[in-house]
Amino acid sequence: MIEILLTPHVEQYFILAFILLGIGLFGMMVRKNLITILMSLELALNSVNIAFVGIDRLNHLIDGEIFALFTIALAAAEAAVGLGIILSLFRLRKAENVNEIIDLKG
Amino acid sequence: MLNQIAFYIFGGISIICGLGVVSASNPIYVVLWLLGALIAISGIFFSAGAELLGALQLMVYVVAIAVFYILIITAVPWRKLHKNEQHNRLIGVTVLPFIALLYVEAFIVGISGVSITKNKIIETITKNYGNAEVIGIKLFSTYFWAFELMSVLLLISMIGAILLGRKEEKTYD
Repeated sequence: MIEILLTPHVEQYFILAFILLGIGLFGMMVRKNLITILMSLELALNSVNIAFVGIDRLNHLIDGEIFALFTIALAAAEAAVGLGIILSLFRLRKAENVNEIIDLKG
Repeated sequence: MLNQIAFYIFGGISIICGLGVVSASNPIYVVLWLLGALIAISGIFFSAGAELLGALQLMVYVVAIAVFYILIITAVPWRKLHKNEQHNRLIGVTVLPFIALLYVEAFIVGISGVSITKNKIIETITKNYGNAEVIGIKLFSTYFWAFELMSVLLLISMIGAILLGRKEEKTYD
């Protein structure tokens, strides 16, 4: 049993990534504050990076790490635009909760 | 073996910090839990041997993006943040069985035996050059177009964030 736990398997990385993805997804649905919703999204993106790195390391590839780099860059872009949207929403509507943004409710 | 122990330690820390991200009520504490989770994930990257990615995770996520979030939290007034309820409890209770179902599905897929074949193309290059050089070679040869598109995307998002975040003193009709 100890031997199994101490030898690297790709499933370990996938299980960790899946648990973190579920936590991030749950946070995205449960949270009310827009900023914390974006933070949960960061957690979910990072879980995908873990899966990429795990499958890379155990198959001796390098492509997944490059895509993880792209994910990091994408997360930076998403954070910039998302936080700008939150800031302008707060300036214009005084709203930072998702329940207060009711402009698109017909 | 040491790598595996480091993986378990950092994985446990990241899961605990992720639960903190979901459950903490004060947004500053949420940022701190997120920082802990990101640092633990970079530790996982280091223990898996992806040094460049771990270093970039520390530099980009832990320093830049977390500071960004703290900046935005300071821009939103504190009183309002404290008064409001931070969780949508009804949705939480409703959604929780489905998240559990997701885990059950993954468990079933896992024990039904999905395996991944091994191929060892890149291993010799990695042994000769090391991680960062191989990533650089691949990034500037195979994935050059995607890399350039990503830089353009970052530029666009930066301009968009500046445009969105500026004060509305005058409008352009």
